[in-house]
Amino acid sequence: MPFIGNQPALSYTSFAVQHFTTSATTSYTLDYSVANENEIRLVINNVVQQPGSSYAYTASGTTLTLSAATSATDTMYAVFLGKAVQTVTPASGSVTNAMIVDGTIAESKLASGVNTITMAEQWRLSSVTVTSTNTFLTTNLEKADTSDAGSIGTGMSESSGVFSFPSTGIYLITGTGAFYQNGSVTHQFVGLEIYVTTDNSSYNRRASSYGAILGTAEEANTTCMYIFDVTDISNDKVKFHVRQQTAGNLNVAGATNRQLTGFTFVRLGDT
Amino acid sequence: MHRDYLQDALHTFNGGNWYGWKTHDDNGNKIPNSERMQYQHIKIIKDGATMPTEAEVNAKIQELKDAETQKETDASTGKQKLKDLGLNDAEIKALIGV
Repeated sequence: MPFIGNQPALSYTSFAVQHFTTSATTSYTLDYSVANENEIRLVINNVVQQPGSSYAYTASGTTLTLSAATSATDTMYAVFLGKAVQTVTPASGSVTNAMIVDGTIAESKLASGVNTITMAEQWRLSSVTVTSTNTFLTTNLEKADTSDAGSIGTGMSESSGVFSFPSTGIYLITGTGAFYQNGSVTHQFVGLEIYVTTDNSSYNRRASSYGAILGTAEEANTTCMYIFDVTDISNDKVKFHVRQQTAGNLNVAGATNRQLTGFTFVRLGDT
Repeated sequence: MHRDYLQDALHTFNGGNWYGWKTHDDNGNKIPNSERMQYQHIKIIKDGATMPTEAEVNAKIQELKDAETQKETDASTGKQKLKDLGLNDAEIKALIGV
């Protein structure tokens, strides 16, 4: 339909209607404030009433005053002519990015299955550990705490090498092992492994990565990953294991100022 | 990976795996990561372990460095002796890998 002037912002509107519970009174309260009685159409017993102080009713603000009292058997309703209630429903696919206020979309508004990363954290072995046989890493584990280290959300907790999760969810666990030769010992294989438990007791190996140290001053770096469905934070835990050929001592590299042997935890989404 | 002589030296005491690094000083202030891995910030984490003196640690570091230097020297002189016996570089490399 052609028109002159700006496109109305409120293209789709409906009128508000108020149905009254009538009684023997001349005074009623309106749901919406009005400037005067002409902004409403009042209908009593299916008869349209004439507005005005000399006629059937007056209105101001939310006060409706009848010229004669109703009775409890009357039916009365008002249509708010001057108060069209906005019920704008934008057309499908019409809301653009610019229409949304920055920083207002809460995660709860996202559809099921659409996840955001709410937790990410790195840990590391803070000093060199010497192993002579297969062993779990249980000491000198610390969060990456250099001044520029980043993390998201509440992180992992650790006790004697057992890592606990802050909340249920799907977690990506990455373990990196850095190994170097101890003396002149060679190893056909060395590696880091991820073990998890779902009963806080029995651990199962879920990821492994191996390298070898076969000569003087050699080193090996290995990385393994596992996506763990954490459904119970009391029972679902993870720890990290060094596996080596038992030929002699092995240096597992660690430092407190950088990641050498270390672990990264990222919560990918809901379980 | 550059060899960490300090940590390698520390592991020669107390049967190894006896130390960690303090993250906070006695006043509760965080020790910058870049300054932690020094003798004065060692903490003992193994029952029965005793703290070696800084001089003992430094002596051990020097011992490790000397041993490494000696190993390089031995490799070099050994290679030269092989050459003196008439082996060429390709033959030496085939034998000892360098």
